Amino acid sequence: MNARLLTTGFATAYENMAIDEAILIHAQENPQVTLRLYGWNPSAISIGYFQSLKEEVDLAKCKKYQTDYIRRITGGGAVFHDDEVTYSIIAPIDGILIPKNILMSYKKICQGVIEGLKTFGVVSQFIPLNDIISSGKKISGNAQTRKNNVLLQHGTILLKVDVEKMFSLLKVPNEKLKNKIIKDVKQRVIGIQDLLGKKISFEACQKALIYGFQKSLKFNYVKMPLSSSEILLVKKLEEQKYRSDKWNHQR
Amino acid sequence: MMIKRSIYKIPDGKLVKIELKEKQGKIIRIKITGDFFIYPEEMIYSLEDHLVGCTIERTVLKNKIEKWLHKYQIDCFGITSTGLADAIIMIK
Repeated sequence: MNARLLTTGFATAYENMAIDEAILIHAQENPQVTLRLYGWNPSAISIGYFQSLKEEVDLAKCKKYQTDYIRRITGGGAVFHDDEVTYSIIAPIDGILIPKNILMSYKKICQGVIEGLKTFGVVSQFIPLNDIISSGKKISGNAQTRKNNVLLQHGTILLKVDVEKMFSLLKVPNEKLKNKIIKDVKQRVIGIQDLLGKKISFEACQKALIYGFQKSLKFNYVKMPLSSSEILLVKKLEEQKYRSDKWNHQR
Repeated sequence: MMIKRSIYKIPDGKLVKIELKEKQGKIIRIKITGDFFIYPEEMIYSLEDHLVGCTIERTVLKNKIEKWLHKYQIDCFGITSTGLADAIIMIK
């Protein structure tokens, strides 16, 4: 079975989340599997569907440092998208290649990331529900939603982590504990470059992920752009949903 | 009426934040936020509505949440009926 391989390069948070959702909506009427790879410019913070924007994100600091912020349609936590490669898989839940069981489908898709990391000599493992760890530290976070029997899972693979910068933009429940939290997170999160002690480019990581997904999710991947109807939907979602306060401040 | 808050890390689960208004020990309005997963996501609003009028008592809340989970066949990760009930009673 064919799958579309879509590389959209660097885009804003609004465009990125609009593209993921447009593909998800489109696939409900026109069943198709897509593997998408992308980056974020400018850097941005995404929060999970159930999170409170004002409680998680320091909006004034984001404006000051020209960092965008956005609410995802997927659950999970706040992510600072900086030096990383992001993937998304959109696929009909067929019960064969894409398991019906939520946990199993996370595991299956995360295997693509694990195989990709292996090409750099990075050994990693899936930790339910949504993390991939290496040397005991989180290297990839993932989140999934399902709509009308189509799944969207997106996740990030960290190249380099700047925890100080991340926490200058994120709020913590207790300011007094901020330094301790920063210290803890530094112990718990790592990028590929930090692990290997050498530069890994966005392109190299993207290539590795494509290889990883080819190996673990056995579709015949064909490079194809967004369709014209998807592009129309992207523009609509970007303007009417993802750039709106109504959506981003919803909770 | 004062808005009361709590933050609770569910054991082996995610962080749940509660914001609620209460009157005579009952929930008037509740907002449940955090980094958990509920499928389908939009059902969080149904859950919040379902809890309005509920007595802020651990077993009562737990049963009410369990009934709701069962009724709508909701899948949850990082959040449980017990964990959510514990988060809510912490505001007291």
